[in-house]
Amino acid sequence: MNDRIKSGIAVVTGAGGGLGRALVLELAARGMRVVALGRRRDGIEETAAMAPEGRVEVLQVDVADAGAVREGLSQIADEVPITLLINNAAVYPRRDFLDETPDSFMDTVAINLGGMVNCSHAALEGMVEAGFGRIMNVSTFADIAPLPASSGYAVSKGAARILTRAMIADLADRFPDIVINDWMPGMLATRMGVAHGLDPAQSAKWGATLALWHDPVLTGTVFEQNREILPPRGIKGRVKDALLLRRRRPRMISG
Amino acid sequence: MTGDIQDTLWDVIVIGAGMGGGIVGRRLAEMGLSVLFVEKGPNGHRAERQGLNPDMADPVARQLRGYWPGPMRATINGRASEFFGPLGAGVGGSSVFYAATLERPERHDLEATEDRPHPTGGWPVGFDAMRPWYARAEALLHVCGEADPLSPEPPADLAKPPPLSAGDSALMTSLTRAGLHPYRLHSAIRYLEGCHDCLGVKCPRPCKMDGRSAGVEPALATGRARLLDNCTVKRLCGAPGRISHIEVTRRGEAFDLRARRFVLAAGAFGSPRLLLASHAAHWPEGCANESGLVGRNLMFHLNEMLALWPPRAAHAPGPGKAISLRDLYHRDGQRFGTVQAMGIDAGYGEIVHFLNGMFDRSALRHIRPLRHLTRIPALIAARLMGQAKVFVGLMEDLGYPENRVTWDENAPEALDFTYHLHGELLTRRRAFRRAISKALRGHRRLFLTHQPELNFGHPCGTLRFGTDPKTSVLNADCRAHGLDNLYVSDASFMPSSMGVNPSLTIAANALRVAEAIGTSLPKDAAE
Repeated sequence: MNDRIKSGIAVVTGAGGGLGRALVLELAARGMRVVALGRRRDGIEETAAMAPEGRVEVLQVDVADAGAVREGLSQIADEVPITLLINNAAVYPRRDFLDETPDSFMDTVAINLGGMVNCSHAALEGMVEAGFGRIMNVSTFADIAPLPASSGYAVSKGAARILTRAMIADLADRFPDIVINDWMPGMLATRMGVAHGLDPAQSAKWGATLALWHDPVLTGTVFEQNREILPPRGIKGRVKDALLLRRRRPRMISG
Repeated sequence: MTGDIQDTLWDVIVIGAGMGGGIVGRRLAEMGLSVLFVEKGPNGHRAERQGLNPDMADPVARQLRGYWPGPMRATINGRASEFFGPLGAGVGGSSVFYAATLERPERHDLEATEDRPHPTGGWPVGFDAMRPWYARAEALLHVCGEADPLSPEPPADLAKPPPLSAGDSALMTSLTRAGLHPYRLHSAIRYLEGCHDCLGVKCPRPCKMDGRSAGVEPALATGRARLLDNCTVKRLCGAPGRISHIEVTRRGEAFDLRARRFVLAAGAFGSPRLLLASHAAHWPEGCANESGLVGRNLMFHLNEMLALWPPRAAHAPGPGKAISLRDLYHRDGQRFGTVQAMGIDAGYGEIVHFLNGMFDRSALRHIRPLRHLTRIPALIAARLMGQAKVFVGLMEDLGYPENRVTWDENAPEALDFTYHLHGELLTRRRAFRRAISKALRGHRRLFLTHQPELNFGHPCGTLRFGTDPKTSVLNADCRAHGLDNLYVSDASFMPSSMGVNPSLTIAANALRVAEAIGTSLPKDAAE
């Protein structure tokens, strides 16, 4: 199934550094044409320069700018269909809620949630025509127990997880071959992450494999690093599983 | 955007773009006429693959998926219920969700034969007159299949079906050994490379032939047809004898559309509803309703579903819906119907579902925890017997005037009807079940339906055609009695429900109606 994904082009947002850059390079290394989308030209150009010649194009766009995203992605799609979108762009300003202004708070939402809305909406235009595509949203557990000085991030990333499920509610029955899910890369040693975190290049290997994995059963799944997080099951469900000798096994990302 | 459409005097406006509307519009456009399809639902995305979903309740979500947005509000044997019916509202109508079984009826479905009297005395167009239209519809819809070995009629010229799966092949052999006459079901699926076998779901390609792929799309390709989707017709307007225009709304805007001829193809619910909604001083009971029969004689089929296990658990790819038999179509002087594969393999989950359905209707239904216990026999059945093939026996329903579609102007999206299960039907149903059981003796089988199940996807009869304006709504050409320029090309016209799926007959009749309109128009132009 990966062949059809590879016949088109991938768009990775937040591609000027960190995990986004690693994902671009990993996808390019696997023979995928990739658009490195980012706000800063020097960052995405550096990413492109690190990839094999001609594999990576750059698109300098602020994901929070819906019009620019639409125009940029439609120009790409005019030439090659966008078969894969990785919504990776995010900001994580450490700021006490009292120090936020309503505008600064909503700026974070505009990038972390709005960016995902803008890019998904624009990429879906062609995916819906073809009835085929793959959207992987880079996601976190930041919404479950928000940390101090993280309100904008926790709220917007939590909402982004809801957006994944809401898009699935609208699309999955109509377009089963547009495969949408969430991937939690874990704590990475990136600018946004932590110093002792995982090497983004290793994480990107899992991310790229999952992004190129096109199977309708993946829609709605959540993966953390290389392992599926199974949805919680109530006591009734567990009794039922036991009765039916059914064991739930998380899927694993190989390699 | 629709300005030029509004300014045009169309040769023909077709209301409803399902099987009947799509085919009639295609034929008219091919004949050189200008055609406007007015469709309540959306055109949709061509790549969509959803099936019907009775659990989806939001009218916006329903409408954009091509489902009829509102609920069916039924009064069955005096008991009111409300549910979402298996009806479409979008380009292709219900047919985009069908399983593409396109079979001809039997002679006795349309006319009285020596030993088989017809419930209405017979259709105004007999079997031999319909036969060439069936042949044309089969060609247009790329029907494949094999001849029914029991039929005395000349066989249809059908495309060759794809090879059977191992399981179906074994089942075919064992049915034959039991003295039955199974044959390859007639199907409008072209099985193009990469075919998803879109039974019950929208087909993303012109592979399953339906009102969209074989009707609206080829019509639009002629350049003489246009489509107004998401456009609701409010009423037909005119003077006694003639329709002048229709009042519609689209995206909040109300306007009129004009044509020389109008074809009503909004389905056996939609079409009579629209005529009833069009009441005016000169049409006090509704348009075309001098007989008082608009909406009456509503018929469905009764579905008898059963699981049938192939003699050995063979699992191999092949078309899902492949076998049909007519051994019980008419037995011991009784009008039954066809028995056919549903294209469903029943594993554990499906059997649980059916058993839960039975449970919900049983005396134990108030003890909810017991419901989980249905999983145990289902699990055992699935383990022991593997995948069953689900078959359905379609049994003919007869028309009764009190079984009817009604119209409530306060709930324009709701499909209201009243239906009574007559004793005659229930007695015949028991005989049909006995006949099925007897015929399948020696096969592992399990009836999955216990209560009478009306097939709400097969409504018909609500604007029956006939020769007498007192006892029918339409004439033999399916033109409304007393109106010069109103035709009907959906399942409403059928005076009897036949023992087969209605779609091929709808398509064949739509071609016949197109011909009648085509021959009437030049005369009109000279006026």
